[in-house]
Amino acid sequence: MLRLHGIIGTAADAAYAGLIHELEHKDGIELLFVPPSDAGRKRFRLTTDRGTDCAVSLDRDEDLVDGAVLFLDPERAIIARFGEQEIWRLKPVDQAASLKLGWNAGNLHWRVRFEGDVLHVLLDAPLHTYRARILPLLDSGEVEELADV
Amino acid sequence: MNQLSPTPTTGSKPIAAARVGIGGPVGSGKTAMVERLIPALLNRGIDIAVITNDLVTAEDAERVRRSGLIDPARVSAVEAGACPHTVIREDPTLNIEAADELERRFPGVELILLESGGDNLASTFSRDLTDFWMFVIDVAGGDDIPRKRGPGVIRSDLLVINKTDLAPHVGVNLERMHQEAKSVRSGRPVLLTNCRKGEGIEAVVDLIEREVLFRA
Repeated sequence: MLRLHGIIGTAADAAYAGLIHELEHKDGIELLFVPPSDAGRKRFRLTTDRGTDCAVSLDRDEDLVDGAVLFLDPERAIIARFGEQEIWRLKPVDQAASLKLGWNAGNLHWRVRFEGDVLHVLLDAPLHTYRARILPLLDSGEVEELADV
Repeated sequence: MNQLSPTPTTGSKPIAAARVGIGGPVGSGKTAMVERLIPALLNRGIDIAVITNDLVTAEDAERVRRSGLIDPARVSAVEAGACPHTVIREDPTLNIEAADELERRFPGVELILLESGGDNLASTFSRDLTDFWMFVIDVAGGDDIPRKRGPGVIRSDLLVINKTDLAPHVGVNLERMHQEAKSVRSGRPVLLTNCRKGEGIEAVVDLIEREVLFRA
C-alpha cells in the first residue's frame, strides 16, 4: 500500500511539467482512475493502471481535480484521472415545464447544475434509469433533451 | 516525496479524521450497529467520536452516551428537523460542522461515525460529508429489499444485512437475500450481521480499517 496525502499540484503546472514530461519518456507515469461519482471523496483506496495500491487522503478543504499529481519522485509520478462525468442536459419549453422538471429533479435527489435555462443532470447511473422517471415530460415535449451523453 | 507513514501528518496540521456514514430504514439496527462498532473499534486502538441524527430529539445520542461505551462528550447530536436525508445529502452543513467541532475538541480523533436518522431506501450520503458510508437493512424488513434496488442499497460503499438471526422467524431465505443483494451491487461488498449478538461486526471493522483508515 502506498499511503498518500494531499495534492502536490497538477500535471499542467509549469513547476512540474518538465519532470512529468521526462517521466513520460521513462515510462514513469501511473494513472489513478477515479469514478466521477467518487471525485468528492477525501479518502479513497484505488489501484493505479500499473497495479499500485494507493491509499489517498486529502484535507477537507482540498478538492481532487483531473490531473492532480498525488505522488512525484525522480522515477515515478502518480496522476489522478477522472472518467468523464456524464451530463444529461434538459431544456424545459416554458415556465410551467420548468416548475415540473425542478419539482421532479428535487424529489428524485438528482445531482444537478444550473446553466441558464438548461438543467444539467450529473449522472450516477445509466441514463435510461433517469429517463424513466420523467418520461411523461419528455414524451409530451414539455422537456427537451439536449443530451450528448 | 509524499509517501507517508501509517499515521501521517502534514507539517503541524493533523490529517482530518475519516468520516463514515451509517444509514438505513427505521428500525434496521443503525444505533445497534454503532453500539457494536464502538467497542470493536476501541479494541483495535482507534480513536473515535460519534454523531447521531434524529428528527427532533437527541434520542439516539442519549442512548449512545448512556451506554457507557464511550466518553459522552465524544457523542454529538444533530436534529434534522426534516427528512433525515436532507442533512446527510442535500445540505450536510450541520453534520459537517458537528464533525469539525469534534475534531477541534478531540485532536487526534481518527474516525467519526455519523449515524443518519431512519429513512427510506433512497437515502444516500453526500461525498462532501462522508468518505465511506454503509447502508443497514434487516431481514425482518423483507427479503425483497435488495431486489427493489433503492439508491441506498445500490450506491452505498457497504451494504449490511442485519438481524440475520430473525431470518427463520420471518420466513426469509437469508442465502437468497444475500445473493440478490450482491447481484445488484456490481461487486461492492455485502456483509451479514447480527448486532444483537455482535456477529459479523469484526468484518465491518476490517473493511473500515482497510478502506478509510488504511491500516491493512
